[in-house]
Amino acid sequence: MNHATGRKGVETLLSAALMVLLLRSTSVWAAESDHIQFENRQPRSGVDFVLDNGTLPDKPMIDGIPGGVALLDYDGDGYLDIFFTNGAHLPDLVKHEGKFSNRLYRNNHDGTFMDVTDRAGVSGEGYSVGAAAADYDNDGHTDLYVTGFNRNFLYHNNGNGTFSDVTERARVSGTFTTGKKLWGISAAWLDYDSDGKLDLFVTNYLDWSFATSKVCGAPGKRLSCSPTLYKGQPNILYHNNGDGTFSDVSESMGIAQHIGKGMGVAVADYNGDGWMDIFVANDNDRNFLFRNRGGKGFDEVAAESFVAYTDNGVPVSGMGVDFRDWDNHGQPSLIVTALGGETFPLLHNEGNGFFSDDSYKAGIGFSSFRMSGWGTGIQDLDNDGHKDLFTANSHVSENADIEGQQRYRQPNAVFRNMHDGSFRDVTSDSGSAMQVRAAHRGCAFGDLNNDGKIDVVVSAIGGPAELLYNTTAGDRHWILIRTVGTKSNRDGIGTRVRIVGASGFVQYNHVTTAGSYASSNDPRVHFGLGADAAIQEIELRWPSGTVQVLHNVRADQILTVTEE
Amino acid sequence: MRVAILFMLFASCGSVEVYAAPCTGAETQLAQVSHQLTLNSPEAAENSLRALSLSYPDCPEIILQRARLAQVKGDANQAAELYYRYTDGDPDDSRGLAYFGRFFLEQRDYMRADALSAAAVQKNAVDPVALSLRAQILVMKGQPHEAQELLEKAIQIDPDEPEAQFQLGEIYDKAKLSPKAVSYFQKVVALNPRDARAWDYLALNLEPLGDLDGAEEAYQRGLRVDQPGKYYDAFLEYNYGRFLAKRNRLSASKRHLDTAVALTPQIRAVWYERARLDMRMGNYQQAQADAEKAAACTQQGGIIDLQIYSLLSQVYARLGNTVLAKKYMDLTRETPPPVRTESR
Repeated sequence: MNHATGRKGVETLLSAALMVLLLRSTSVWAAESDHIQFENRQPRSGVDFVLDNGTLPDKPMIDGIPGGVALLDYDGDGYLDIFFTNGAHLPDLVKHEGKFSNRLYRNNHDGTFMDVTDRAGVSGEGYSVGAAAADYDNDGHTDLYVTGFNRNFLYHNNGNGTFSDVTERARVSGTFTTGKKLWGISAAWLDYDSDGKLDLFVTNYLDWSFATSKVCGAPGKRLSCSPTLYKGQPNILYHNNGDGTFSDVSESMGIAQHIGKGMGVAVADYNGDGWMDIFVANDNDRNFLFRNRGGKGFDEVAAESFVAYTDNGVPVSGMGVDFRDWDNHGQPSLIVTALGGETFPLLHNEGNGFFSDDSYKAGIGFSSFRMSGWGTGIQDLDNDGHKDLFTANSHVSENADIEGQQRYRQPNAVFRNMHDGSFRDVTSDSGSAMQVRAAHRGCAFGDLNNDGKIDVVVSAIGGPAELLYNTTAGDRHWILIRTVGTKSNRDGIGTRVRIVGASGFVQYNHVTTAGSYASSNDPRVHFGLGADAAIQEIELRWPSGTVQVLHNVRADQILTVTEE
Repeated sequence: MRVAILFMLFASCGSVEVYAAPCTGAETQLAQVSHQLTLNSPEAAENSLRALSLSYPDCPEIILQRARLAQVKGDANQAAELYYRYTDGDPDDSRGLAYFGRFFLEQRDYMRADALSAAAVQKNAVDPVALSLRAQILVMKGQPHEAQELLEKAIQIDPDEPEAQFQLGEIYDKAKLSPKAVSYFQKVVALNPRDARAWDYLALNLEPLGDLDGAEEAYQRGLRVDQPGKYYDAFLEYNYGRFLAKRNRLSASKRHLDTAVALTPQIRAVWYERARLDMRMGNYQQAQADAEKAAACTQQGGIIDLQIYSLLSQVYARLGNTVLAKKYMDLTRETPPPVRTESR
């Protein structure tokens, strides 16, 4: 090598190094400049809902448990409306006053909402907890199921802005075969047997009543008792008969045999066999993973799959859950929210039937150890093609602060996906709305203003709900896919979607309204596309078995796909 | 006489807070010796005491400090002999009773420690050494609130009494009030940087506060001073190993957990934690060996059977041993989770 060549080589090396440095700088800048941002627009939205838990000085178990949020397009205008569940007067469990009413708000498309509860007929009765929305009778109108302590409701959408209470006729009152009304928390619509009709799964919590209620903590600073003081309850699976009625198949399908303390529920085909499986987060008890046996029944395989407990072999106070593929490897994984001092288990699907608890490995262990979470979602909040994590936080006990170990009112949290299997707690950079301490409970995810960014609506005990609009800057691309089933259920719930961006980047998601805590999400499937302004391929695997492939689809649109 | 003294102590009242005339002039040096012994520095104390003994042959305080020295050096017989001599000579000295009580506590003679601690406080209700020993006994008797009162009193009188600071830290640690626990353990390590236990507790309480760098430094400083003696902490390696695993520094974690296993092989928790790490590192055969060791340990160290079953089910499933995997999965299903009767 002569000197000239050698010198040129050095210059080339230096140039390359400079380029790498520049690229890295650009990359860092891009990441820093696109902070996930939320803005609470509740104050000017007309949504005046306040979750009232009817609390009593003795702080009975029931008062920490509400409430849920459902994002649904009940009037079919293409915009998400908002439904909130509410508590009741205690101890008589009656919605004596308007302040305990469940509420439905219609989206006016301009950032404001109108309270249409009374006209819609969904104010409810009893102590309500959760909500799940879907079109169970395939008539093109989104229906609503509401869980509660003493009353569950199925509201049939009449298509004219009103709902009818069809609970008794449909036989979905949440009463077990023994005749006892169970304490309903969350619900999920899914077509477990792929017969084209949506079935209903309801989680149930504790065998508790005011007659058996225990008192915990000192007078004047009562705390919520541990659920270990009470027996659990079975969950319920209702099969949709297709004639407006349902059959309780909990026992015959292998659900009721497993007594838990059910809180959140999420649905996904975790093993890729084409059948939707069900995960239930239990409170201070082992979680359940119901593996679908080809629509013929369920096997409870949480222990075998290593999702029953944390990797430390103990249960957590499981609250909310979501079940989606956060690392784009084709298999949905889990996040479960829990109480402070436990961490939020992040259960990664290894694709071989096993999950691994990646809470610390993925970098959320230390942060979540200090949080108590309820609602949660695995959602791409910055449209970079990598799903992030959101948790709605608060401790369960209103008097938790007295002892000083925990804070009752906590800010929500957002963990940004760092694209390498890890997440970073970016809450402090996510806007002032994310610093607000409140008694947050359920939350639902969806695009309220159809701008391609996932917003979050959060319910909070004793305070106004938060309408967290996603204001993340940047011009990253996106797509929302609305599925319309023909052979499959009309909502297309259970459809697995795989997209290949223009750059060849592959992502996975599926159609579901289930997930979070006691809440119901936007049924449209969202993908952030980063710099990809187009999509090479969209593959939809419908519950009916139909595989539908679309090519060369432009980004930044709400795409309706009808099953062929 | 020696047995009788324990009973006689309760009957007598009053206290002697200043050294008797034979010690006049030695006060500063004796205070220094006492401090050296508190800091677990027997060599320095021994040299000072040798010199003091020659200059002040009749000073009884020297006997007390020699007793403490013998205790620090692990010579229990000599320590007992000297403590008896001192308390025989001055049965009203609360410090003598308190140090003697602490000796009995170390010897796990809890009844004598209890009696002496009560007597010491009775003799002198404002003696920080007596108050901190009594508090320690009260904690053991399940009276943390009463203990806390005594300790707060002790540190009001003498903010530099490290044992009282340490015990207050422990009380807040047990109550999971990490910010308060941290403040006390920070004071302890400032007073006595050779207290490895305090560094460990400090690190453990900085973790939940999210001060990971602070916790890391505390673990490392604790390990640097972790020597046999009063302030030795057999679980520092274990706790630091766990911490490193949570920070995803698996190789470093392995080194510390290897040491922890060597230090306390009778404790289930160390094998259990290393088995979990083996699992993360994909070393399933080693995980199996460690998990089985953990299962065989009788001293649980906070690890319950359910955790062992859960771990073994994962180990055998990863190894493809379906029979044993199923056995332990069934056990995890059959074993109820721990019942928490407390509120939350």
